[in-house]
Amino acid sequence: MTDLYTPFLEATRNVFLLMLDLSDISDRPAERLGSGEELDVSIGFIGDLKGEVIYRLPHQTSLGIVTIMSGMEFDAVDEFVTSAISEIANIISGNVLTMLAEKDLTCDILPPVLKSPDDGEDYKNRNNILITSEVGDVCLDIRLELAK
Amino acid sequence: MLWKEKYELGVPLIDEQHKELFKRVESFMQVLRMASSWEDKVEKVNETLNFMNTYVVEHFRDEEAFQQEIGYPGEKEHKKVHADMVNYVIAVTEEYKNSGYNEQLIQKFAGKLMAWLINHVASEDQRIAAYAISKGVDKND
Repeated sequence: MTDLYTPFLEATRNVFLLMLDLSDISDRPAERLGSGEELDVSIGFIGDLKGEVIYRLPHQTSLGIVTIMSGMEFDAVDEFVTSAISEIANIISGNVLTMLAEKDLTCDILPPVLKSPDDGEDYKNRNNILITSEVGDVCLDIRLELAK
Repeated sequence: MLWKEKYELGVPLIDEQHKELFKRVESFMQVLRMASSWEDKVEKVNETLNFMNTYVVEHFRDEEAFQQEIGYPGEKEHKKVHADMVNYVIAVTEEYKNSGYNEQLIQKFAGKLMAWLINHVASEDQRIAAYAISKGVDKND
């Protein structure tokens, strides 16, 4: 199976730097976020890879990201915040498509969908990345496999 | 402030239009996020939405003309990104009117628009400027 950890990490780094001016980012493989309320956005993949990637963000991280982008204060994860974060998940995944194409993997992505937290036990090939920056943690739960 | 100097491409016409777009989107968001009733905000929201429908199309047209002028190799893909956004703005506007000016719908639209615009100008449009510089094109023409 192709390395998926690196393209998702690199794409997140690029987007965080360009859109949020966040350059100090660390990463480690991790199963889950800590406890607390979170926003889960799923991006479906089709083509040479199939499955989904779930972007899990604690509410504080979502609010921090939207505050940086807008220059305005937000105190609740409402439709505006959810939509802005969904678009960021879409942009990161779009950047990953370009990196995968360089490895001869042709894929496309589906529009963002909100998810309820689950354990993902049905997925055999999972990769989890916990990305930490000054706005907080983001967990990418990569549930992709090669299409037959 | 939504606009940042690092978004400048060095093409005066396009930069001015980008600044105007960011200014309008920012003012749109400020109205949307005001702590007042939806009835108090809806008129201003509708006015800005109408402006966006016209201005976005005009700006994309000018930007595409510049890409053609400099022979930008990614012109076709960039044009498709523009067309997808225009179609999205038109579809949301239609849905919003049909819904009787539903607030949740427009909050959702504004969140996506903000993130899309920042990424588009900070990332995708910068490639046009980089290409123009690499080809020695005078961006002030």
